[in-house]
Amino acid sequence: MGALFDVLTDNFDELAGGLWVTLRLVGASFAIALVVGTLVAALRIAPSKWLQRLGGVYVETFRNVPLLVLLFISFAGLRRAGVPISNWAAGIGSLGLYTAAYVAEVLRSGVFAVSRGQIEAALSLGFSYGATLRRIVLPQAFRTVIAPLASITIAMIKNSAIVGVSLLALPDLLKEARIVQSRTFQTDEAFFWAAVGYLLITASATIAFRRLERRFAIRR
Amino acid sequence: MGYLFDPDNWEWLVTANNARFIFEGFLVNLQLALIAMVFALAVGLALALARISRSPVLRFVAATWIDVWRNLPLIFIILYLALALPESWRDAYENNAPQLLPDVLQTGRVFAALLALVLYNSAVLAEIMRAGIQSLDRGQGEAAAALGLSYRQRMRFVILPQGLRRMVPATVSQLITLNKDTTLVSIIAIQEVMRHGRIVTGFNFFGGVQAPVLQVFIFIGLLFVATNLALSRLSRRLEIRERARTGTTVEPIGGLEDQVATAQAR
Repeated sequence: MGALFDVLTDNFDELAGGLWVTLRLVGASFAIALVVGTLVAALRIAPSKWLQRLGGVYVETFRNVPLLVLLFISFAGLRRAGVPISNWAAGIGSLGLYTAAYVAEVLRSGVFAVSRGQIEAALSLGFSYGATLRRIVLPQAFRTVIAPLASITIAMIKNSAIVGVSLLALPDLLKEARIVQSRTFQTDEAFFWAAVGYLLITASATIAFRRLERRFAIRR
Repeated sequence: MGYLFDPDNWEWLVTANNARFIFEGFLVNLQLALIAMVFALAVGLALALARISRSPVLRFVAATWIDVWRNLPLIFIILYLALALPESWRDAYENNAPQLLPDVLQTGRVFAALLALVLYNSAVLAEIMRAGIQSLDRGQGEAAAALGLSYRQRMRFVILPQGLRRMVPATVSQLITLNKDTTLVSIIAIQEVMRHGRIVTGFNFFGGVQAPVLQVFIFIGLLFVATNLALSRLSRRLEIRERARTGTTVEPIGGLEDQVATAQAR
């Protein structure tokens, strides 16, 4: 037991620093995923076949390609092509755009969960397309998407671990655990604390989303 | 844009044996995904049964086990096992790996990778199976009990055949995720498509032109998109067939990104 806590106290700065990098990575990617995901979802429900198709291509591409391939393309690929992209930009961009495809799908299915009759009623009352979406559909859709959004966020937190160990060398939690391990050779201890870190982040995200869900629940 | 579509930058695809080399790597990924899936299904079923068993102790142990493996990043598990597995286990795998596997998959490192993929995916699949089983009408189990079937008989003849059928689409979506996840084993130096991609872009491999990183990995990405699109088509078709046969819809199950895929197919 002693060795377990020694590894934590001896390497606290590295591990805590790694946790902080992971949190920043997750936070920034989540913001991108929400913004881009909303835009793509808007494309997918737009009243034009071509815009819908464009949104569909985005979703099918980013959902079916491995995140690691995206990281290679956005970092090594773009750099070799002469675009001076930083490792943070590549990491946040890849994770954000990848997750955005899932967010878009969730938002779209949330919109479709609102019954057609409501939309037709709103349109026949003279609401414009935008106003119908903003005042009738989205407030209701928001409630139904909180739970699936939570599982996407958790998946994204786990996926963030891929960024650090790929070519990008962002010193995130897993990367720092790896560094501590290669210096001390205390594999079990170093990885134990990294696991605790990841489980802490995912658990807090779960609790936060559960609160959100309770707050917006419909009371009948 | 000019750089991206410049024919000179795509020349690598038809020179030397680059394309074939990439395809060979991709085949390793598909094989890894298939092998891991078969084992994950078996282990996942055992975990799911333990998770809903009548013994509270077994239920608790299974639930904890599933939650831990499901909530850790897969890359974390792969890296940890690659570093922590005793040498003797890897040697045992190397000595006993079936000869029909390709050489790449007979190395000791592959054992760590496969074990990680199975640990993670069996936990995910166990949750999918549990949801499938528990989404069945309670009356099914009660009717079977009233007819005098034992617990084992109820499971074997009534509950599992119906419950597991419901999770076929979710399982296919998980196979898509697993297929993407096999690229992660390149981190522990298993020679699959990502490694092959890096070799092709490295230097004048095979004496051909040097391949640009961007184009090579876009090509590899497209391979995955094509395969996974085919798989999700299959999943959707299975689901529609299932719905037509039973007149029910499949609940969105599974706690991962794949939930979205199932929800979307509805």
